[in-house]
Amino acid sequence: MNEKIRKTILDNISKSVGKKAEYVDARLVTEDYSEFVELYDGNLEENDTTFENGIGVRTLYNGAWGFAATSDLSKINECFELSLQNAKTASELVSVAITMGKKQKGLKASYESPAKKDPFNVSLKEKIEFLKGIDDNLKEDWIFKRYISATFQKKNQFFFNSEGSEIERKLTDVFATMAVMGLDNEGRMQRRTHELFTKGNGTRGWEMLVDPKLFSSHAGRVKDELAELLKAESLKYGKRSVILLPGQGWLQVHETIGHPLELDRILGYELSYAGGSFVTLDSFGKLKYGSDKLSVSAYGGFPNSPGSFGYDDDGSPERDYLMIDKGLLVNCLTSRAMINEANERAGRKIFKESGGASRSTAFYRAPIDRMTNVNILPGNDGKLKDIIASTENGIVVDNPTSWSIGSNREHFHFGCEIAWEVKNGKKTRVLKNPTYQGHTIEFYNSLTAVGDKSTWLVGQVDSCGKGEPNQAMELGHGVPVLKFENVITGEK
Amino acid sequence: MINAKIKKIFQNARKEALKQKVQANISYHNEKSHLMRIGNNSVSLNTSENLTRLDINVTIGKKHGSHTQMGEISSSKYVIEALKIAIDKAKNSLDLDFTPLKEVIEDNFAQDEQYDKKLENLDPAFKMESYKKIIETVGQQYNYSGSWSSGSTEHFFMTTENENSAYHIVTDQLFNIVLKHPDKKWELSSTQTGWKKSDFKAAKTIKEFQKLLPVYEGHKGFKVKPGKYTVVLGSAAIAEVMEMALWTGFYGRTYEEKRAWTSKNKAGDKILGKNITLTDDPANPDTFGFSFDMSGKKRMKFALCKDGILKGIMYDTQTAAMYKKKPTGHDIGGSSIVVGAGEGDKSLLKAVKELGTVLYIPALHYINLPNASKGIFTGSSRFNAVLIKNGKVVSPIFSSRITDNFQSVFGNVKLISSESVSFNGSNTYDRRNPVAMSVPTYMVCEKVKITDCADSF
Repeated sequence: MNEKIRKTILDNISKSVGKKAEYVDARLVTEDYSEFVELYDGNLEENDTTFENGIGVRTLYNGAWGFAATSDLSKINECFELSLQNAKTASELVSVAITMGKKQKGLKASYESPAKKDPFNVSLKEKIEFLKGIDDNLKEDWIFKRYISATFQKKNQFFFNSEGSEIERKLTDVFATMAVMGLDNEGRMQRRTHELFTKGNGTRGWEMLVDPKLFSSHAGRVKDELAELLKAESLKYGKRSVILLPGQGWLQVHETIGHPLELDRILGYELSYAGGSFVTLDSFGKLKYGSDKLSVSAYGGFPNSPGSFGYDDDGSPERDYLMIDKGLLVNCLTSRAMINEANERAGRKIFKESGGASRSTAFYRAPIDRMTNVNILPGNDGKLKDIIASTENGIVVDNPTSWSIGSNREHFHFGCEIAWEVKNGKKTRVLKNPTYQGHTIEFYNSLTAVGDKSTWLVGQVDSCGKGEPNQAMELGHGVPVLKFENVITGEK
Repeated sequence: MINAKIKKIFQNARKEALKQKVQANISYHNEKSHLMRIGNNSVSLNTSENLTRLDINVTIGKKHGSHTQMGEISSSKYVIEALKIAIDKAKNSLDLDFTPLKEVIEDNFAQDEQYDKKLENLDPAFKMESYKKIIETVGQQYNYSGSWSSGSTEHFFMTTENENSAYHIVTDQLFNIVLKHPDKKWELSSTQTGWKKSDFKAAKTIKEFQKLLPVYEGHKGFKVKPGKYTVVLGSAAIAEVMEMALWTGFYGRTYEEKRAWTSKNKAGDKILGKNITLTDDPANPDTFGFSFDMSGKKRMKFALCKDGILKGIMYDTQTAAMYKKKPTGHDIGGSSIVVGAGEGDKSLLKAVKELGTVLYIPALHYINLPNASKGIFTGSSRFNAVLIKNGKVVSPIFSSRITDNFQSVFGNVKLISSESVSFNGSNTYDRRNPVAMSVPTYMVCEKVKITDCADSF
């Protein structure tokens, strides 16, 4: 990086500390590229690139945060001053002082997403040709609309803090979606989608997108399933078993395990916007979140996911740990400042160290507690066919169309693209417009089957919204096939 | 007015685009944003952002490409280099199967009537002091959280089609605070909005809380059994549901592609109740009005639904080109939607006195669309929701889910308030872009389906 800019940042950090700042960090983003290419019915409707760079500075003063950001790198000094001034103003209204806990040893480190071929070294022509090739495969007379898109992201970020850390990160992400739509027997639109996924291993450059197993080979399947949907009946209201494929399971986990287990949410810092959590500090070590079959990890130690990023925006390394152990709630998604406050409030040491979940989406956003990879561990109930074989009356569902969750994540309602009816251990027919709803704790305690490793996939999330100012974050969810009992499905 | 240097730089870039024989829309967006967050009775974040974006859209025949970059627009070279990236993208793209419409700026627009320098430069200490006053006056025994976003948005663009330019500057603020009982867990909320500093009054929020607190303190929560109820939607709930209804019912793209709940209808058909009127009115002062859209088209009052009858569908330039329709001035992030007021008493409790048992749901959380083409939506109650009997508040209600469709909820409206308020629907996901809707303070809807209720608030 530019040595002059580095020196300016380090000098300013020292200056802020000299003015009694308790902690200071800065994120210099030298390049943040994104590219979005979308074909809709064969038309290249989106052909966009975005480039951002700038600096964001966070200052802790007398137990309060101040933050300032600018896209004008000639104003780094002013940015530090404004951040400190904002912290000073904030410190006039503090009832719970924020601290970063015990001073940590400065880290000199770097992280780079594993990628063989930088997607920004692939020409636009090649990208369009690749997507066009799949689009041609999706084309049929009876298909009303087709959609295929890819998003490429590359970010180079330098982190500095007043503890002496200097961490460089080079992050690469690739997301892609294909969908086909058609009019059903009532003249209403139905849709089948496939999203680029990973198995957690391998690399996440251009090579991931062009791996047929992960993306292009699914074109035929989504068409076949749409064809069945268009002549299907609607799911009727009733209680039955619900089997979630990973294409739906990741969102279930995201909304009803990931979000309620963000520590800032548990502590009430998101109440006015995203909402709170039914989980309290008293719940850890006591709350039976789910059945014994439910074990949930954070990060998961797998390299190929948008939720794997090396070091968080507090400078803490990502950690791999269990949040739910055989149904029992034991930990959650944490950052340095939040664990100190939580332990103090609880009067016991619930959290030993930061979970490495402090993240910001851009240089102009302050870090907050976010998901990394939130994963349900594979079980030993076999493959999908084994789980179906043990089901008397149920549905298998895939891919979300709608999700609505209570403000404390205590209840939910999901709509899916497709359901397969299961009767007496066999898939019988396709049903359209499936929905299911439930109450979180009751639902996870009704988990009776968890698929094995062969059913486990990492769903890639390109846009999880949280915080004010809002931040749309990239993350991942490793999820196997899951079966729940006695679930309310369909609409009355 | 736009800074003369920026204007000159854009004129040079426009000349370059003409020289390259491409159509271009060159746009400047600057935001000065400030946001203060409150959590656990403390300022949890106090953030300032000054961000400038350059957006360039290029069309060459039936090909197009666009490029955005953030950073100071300091020279013609900076903009021309970005223009070259967009041109290169357009050249390497595919032909569309329709001919894009030309973006002609219909006048020299310069709009600043909703700009307040005092709000643009609002001292964060004013926000901190206001929160402090509210917390100390209402009572520190409660837990408070909230956010207060304020700032200015400046927008300027030119196109290659003529020498006109369009300029708009606006200031906006959105204040909210949530009061939560530390043991009983219910939540009360107060929101204020506007484009001037003086639109905010701490006393207003204090009065609201002081009026509601005795009701909440004195009653336990009520669990609503699933079934059909007379539901009084408050202004936020009306705006949130109506926004979804508009998105999935009144935009050309969803309508033409048969994804809209109105797709089986045509102008003149009855789609909602006879007391529902929806208009896009950029002159309405409750909204943040744009007199032009981002293609340069003049924005006029536009009827969407009158007395329940479908009147118009909004077409942006791309959808208009695809479906051979006329663009309606809707290349814009947020329209100025006005939901027509009615004749109901300004006092909600007086208005529902003769209606027996009703549920008052002022706001809905996380609305989504299980079946958009049938108009089915779902969302759960939040903030200040209560059970009312014969005009008297009986109890706050636990988190209750509505799953119903637009046609039924807005087809069975018994009464609409005669008073309207501004609902600020801005979010801060991307660039600053203030959006607001004018909505009645309440709407009494009959036979609304409550499909679930939690055991807590």
